Amino acid sequence: MNFTFAAHLRTGLREGFSSPLAAALSLLTGGLIAAIAWVSIRWLLLEAVWPWQEADACRETAGLCWPFLTEKVRLILFGTYPYDLQARPAAVSVMLCLLAILTCRQMVGKPPRLNAGQLAAIWVLVIGLSFVLMGGGVFGLQAVDPVRWNGLPILLILSIVAVALAFPLGVLLTLARVQTSHPILALLASSYVEITRGVPMLTVLFVGIFVLPLTLPAGVSISPVMATLVALVFFHASYFAEDIRGGLLSLPAGQGEAANSLGMTYWQATRLVVLPQAIRRSLPSLVNSLIGAYKDTSLVVVVGIHDLTATARMSFGDPEWRDNALEAYVLVGLWFFLSCAYLSGIGRQLHRNSAS
Amino acid sequence: MLVLALAVFNVLANMEAAGVSPGFGFLVQEAGFDVSGSLIPYSPGDSYARVILVGLANTVFLAAVCLVLATVIGVVFGLVSVGPSPIGRALALAYVEVFRNLPKLLVLLILFVLAVNGLPHVREAISVGPFHLSNRSVNFPVVVSNQRMWFAVAAAVFGLGIGFLWRARQKLAGRRSGAAETVAINLLPIALPLLAILVFQVPVTVSVPELKGFDFQGGGRLSLQFVVIAATLGIYHGAQIAEVVRGGLLAIPKGQTEAAKALGLTPWQSIRLIVLPQVIRIVIPPMNNQYVNLVKNTSIAIAVGYSDLMSVSGTIINQSFKPLEMMLITMGLYLALCLGLTTTFNRYHRRLTRRETR
Repeated sequence: MNFTFAAHLRTGLREGFSSPLAAALSLLTGGLIAAIAWVSIRWLLLEAVWPWQEADACRETAGLCWPFLTEKVRLILFGTYPYDLQARPAAVSVMLCLLAILTCRQMVGKPPRLNAGQLAAIWVLVIGLSFVLMGGGVFGLQAVDPVRWNGLPILLILSIVAVALAFPLGVLLTLARVQTSHPILALLASSYVEITRGVPMLTVLFVGIFVLPLTLPAGVSISPVMATLVALVFFHASYFAEDIRGGLLSLPAGQGEAANSLGMTYWQATRLVVLPQAIRRSLPSLVNSLIGAYKDTSLVVVVGIHDLTATARMSFGDPEWRDNALEAYVLVGLWFFLSCAYLSGIGRQLHRNSAS
Repeated sequence: MLVLALAVFNVLANMEAAGVSPGFGFLVQEAGFDVSGSLIPYSPGDSYARVILVGLANTVFLAAVCLVLATVIGVVFGLVSVGPSPIGRALALAYVEVFRNLPKLLVLLILFVLAVNGLPHVREAISVGPFHLSNRSVNFPVVVSNQRMWFAVAAAVFGLGIGFLWRARQKLAGRRSGAAETVAINLLPIALPLLAILVFQVPVTVSVPELKGFDFQGGGRLSLQFVVIAATLGIYHGAQIAEVVRGGLLAIPKGQTEAAKALGLTPWQSIRLIVLPQVIRIVIPPMNNQYVNLVKNTSIAIAVGYSDLMSVSGTIINQSFKPLEMMLITMGLYLALCLGLTTTFNRYHRRLTRRETR
């Protein structure tokens, strides 16, 4: 062990200092890493106030304040959801995370193997259950206004449900765009996709929050959470449509033609032959869009939805804790980093699978 | 179609119920709110159309700064990530990995908190000569413009024009300029304005920021919000551009540089003539994508209160209750910006690939 480490070090040094340029680069970047490491260690360990210490100690040092995190972690996770009922959003969060992991495992072909029907059934079940658990009002569960759906569960609902609904819409948009028998429909679909991809997500969220309620008949109202969800679905759909179109275009035309010559109708050929292959081909880029969609869900804070970023801001809004913004944001950042890293890993695996 | 017609009908009915009439007439009304940091002259008494223009100018300026910043950061880290130093490669890899897995809004908020809490107050600003950095703004000296300045500008343009014509003539004649000629031609655009300043007695006054009371007076000023957003998008998109550059560099087969070496080209020649032209052709489409994303992402500036197009239109919606009209304008402007950028890039890419096929 010791021997191999020394050998690695020797080859590393030999490579890192193989020329004056390499040596300069090594020193520069090594210095930068050392500086970052020093600042991080000082903040994380040396100047940190540990959970068993008094919270007052936080005012004296600039380091990580654990008492703040232990006191505010539930606020950051669930926001203003009624404190006694927070088992419900916790259950929803766990359920949605498990659902996401299960789906990812399906994509890379890991157990438990389910067929498409079973998977879709689980999705519908979990999403329905999430709304019931969050909102309550049935089965003797106390009703909770959507305004108080905060933190992690709302982030997961908005990203996972939006993605789940946007995906079929994206498939339909792609089909409308590539078919040739209705040119007007194709034109509408392609201009929709191009326009949505050419504007920032925030403008679409604004349309959802401000314009969507206007389009409803008098007397019908829509909660901001639902309006945001609708906006996200319509926004993500065009990105997914573009990915699936890429997969569809890379498919040899012979596939569809062969299906037609076997006597299949358009829908049979699409459903059984063309789409499954197109979607499989577009999975790597779909996962990329999915990561982008998940990260961008944090932007809903701008239109007043209290996701993780907003609850983090709530946690240090308290004047007593106003110097602890960094702790709250680092916690949120850690969550995003870990979840996105998992999704990136899935994406890389898909890429390898499709390459081999 | 039916759904759409119903939606339009509902919009009209709802607007009537709220007592507002649809239309773009509100654009000439007085805006009545102030914006922080405007590039073009603006006062709260100006019209809504003017505020939108202010927002658009701020967005374009922000996007331009971020574009340059992200490209520089991205190219540097892209080069380091395929460079000779293993430590450098590890750093570049970690940088890309971290910022690919964080939402840009969170990066923005973290940097903003760090900047507000970490930087000193205006009175104890970090000063390097006439440049000052505080937790409110960056202040720097600027040359005060005046009417006669145009003489110098004209002289510079004239100098550039002569250089351009000269090079075109040399190219037509198939000659290479000598060292003295090259130096003289390229010094013209610098020397002529200086000469113009002397001859026409253009007053050159520099406004230097000075601490007066609670803030700096005079000089140029960039708000902390602007600096933080520019840094965020520079770092965030820098990571993605680094990945694009890395991909482009790795896509060039080793045989290309080896063949160049075998032909007797120096390393610099091989980079300039063999590697770079191919890399540029590979990276242009993904770079185009990045730049369009960057322009769209400038809209997150609203989260820290920089008056860009998005935040200005948000304020107008809240004031005038014209969400439909405002969103049409805002989306149209963003779309125009993105399409303009894409078209320019596509034209450039076509020109490059055409040269390849010839």
